[in-house]
Amino acid sequence: MGTERTKQIDAAASAWLIRRDSGSWSAADQACLEEWLNASALNRVAFLRLELAWEDAARLKALGAGVPGDRPPPPGLWNLTPFFSDPHASGEVSAQPETGSKYRRLGRRRFRFVAAAMLLLVIGVGAYLELARSGELYATPIGGLASVPMADGSQVMLNTDSQIRIALTDTERRVELGHGEAFFEVSKDAARPFVVRAGNKRVIAVGTKFSVRREGNDIEVVVTEGKVRVEHGAAVHGSGVDGSADVFLTPGSIARAGDAGVLVQRKSLPEAEEQLSWRSGVLMFRDQGLGEAAAEFNRYNVRKIVIRDPAVAALKIEGNFRATNVEAFVRLLESGFPVRAETQADQIVLAAK
Amino acid sequence: MEEPLDSWFKREILTHEGILMRFLARVWSRRDELPDIRQEAYARVYEAAQKARPQAPKAFLFTTARHLMADRIRRERIVSIQAGGENEYLNVLVDEISPERRVSANQELVRLARAFDRLSPNCREVIWLRRVKDLSQKEVAHRMGLAEKTIEKHLRQGARLLAHYMRAHVPPNRLHAPEVDARDDDEIEHGHRTHQAD
Repeated sequence: MGTERTKQIDAAASAWLIRRDSGSWSAADQACLEEWLNASALNRVAFLRLELAWEDAARLKALGAGVPGDRPPPPGLWNLTPFFSDPHASGEVSAQPETGSKYRRLGRRRFRFVAAAMLLLVIGVGAYLELARSGELYATPIGGLASVPMADGSQVMLNTDSQIRIALTDTERRVELGHGEAFFEVSKDAARPFVVRAGNKRVIAVGTKFSVRREGNDIEVVVTEGKVRVEHGAAVHGSGVDGSADVFLTPGSIARAGDAGVLVQRKSLPEAEEQLSWRSGVLMFRDQGLGEAAAEFNRYNVRKIVIRDPAVAALKIEGNFRATNVEAFVRLLESGFPVRAETQADQIVLAAK
Repeated sequence: MEEPLDSWFKREILTHEGILMRFLARVWSRRDELPDIRQEAYARVYEAAQKARPQAPKAFLFTTARHLMADRIRRERIVSIQAGGENEYLNVLVDEISPERRVSANQELVRLARAFDRLSPNCREVIWLRRVKDLSQKEVAHRMGLAEKTIEKHLRQGARLLAHYMRAHVPPNRLHAPEVDARDDDEIEHGHRTHQAD
């Protein structure tokens, strides 16, 4: 990320940092580094930022103290390492990702430990409880936006008023979308498909980027990378003889699946990305009816926009707006359109001027 | 004697990177420019602090970032009819975006472990041997059967990615926390009101 200049400075800063730590560092080298740092504040701050991360990385020692051998523990299994005194245990750990069994393990083994491990125990339990939440429910309030890192390396971004439940097993990574909208950046793992369930529909990926939005039994899927399969529950109950219930989506696809069937639109990638502007808290409208735009705003705000006049709802608007700043949106409308707003406690009524 | 500027900068400015990036991401729609804005803001704060250290470093950082974005909008006329709207949301208070609460030591460790887990397997092992096991670059190269140049490449990339991943995400335990409460904690712990300086 960032433009070339930022990337170049970052690369140079990391090169200086690693060279300084390499063990062969002379006074002349130090003088060169200082010259580089003094040349621009941009150099200086890039270096300090990486140096801070590098100092932080040394604190992995606190988590690594119980790990036998020289290899790092498998990803996501840090939490257990302080508790395994058995040098043969680390190899088995990866077979136990299910959180319930971890907890019981933890409880049993805890008693084996002496006071010397006390500090690590405290840190470990804290870390454990934190990571164990991945088996739990995540929710955002109206207007909320949150990023949830998953233990397998995947990332979930939750939009306004949304709820998911994550469960990772040996054979499947499953996310239940209760309601709302989420964007998934799925890390590659061919052995464990990534499945998003929304009511009677399933969206399945291996390593890709896509979003799923649920409204009752209808879903909308936007794919920006990789390939995604939509399993459409209604067709399973229908004739389903030819097995055509599954729909494959490629980047730029926007699919809407209801009980009647699946409709797929092929768009350009930038257009598909635009649909996902909510990830930065922004709503983008292009030649959109005010009625639809208002409905979109209403997802993000407790105070709802109400339009009773069809002529007002049909006005076309365009622009980028902050999703949670409905007041600013309405003020702009009033200044640019023949529209008058009446603001009440729980709603804003728009009428013709 | 006054604390060295560099360590002051790390503690008072760089530790706010998580919330700064969330703030920038919410008000700036061109995501690839976010690191540029961040680094420019850091540089301006650093230069200002060389003359006099700000009393409220966090507020000063955010004000600087806001000014930078406003400058860019003026310069480039990024938005058409919604220029007013864009400026409008540049005026959101810093505290509107769920603020960073002082994270406990173990939360920091969890964040670090997660960041570390996102590195590639080779990069992960190199960093582990170098930073945790304290082996020299030569020893790491020997142990892994890789050229020392390759080890250096992994170390450089590891440092950059850790810096990025460490601050890039909201810890999930904060999802349910009411934003208002979090704000109050933040104010109390920092011992001053964060306010807009402009």
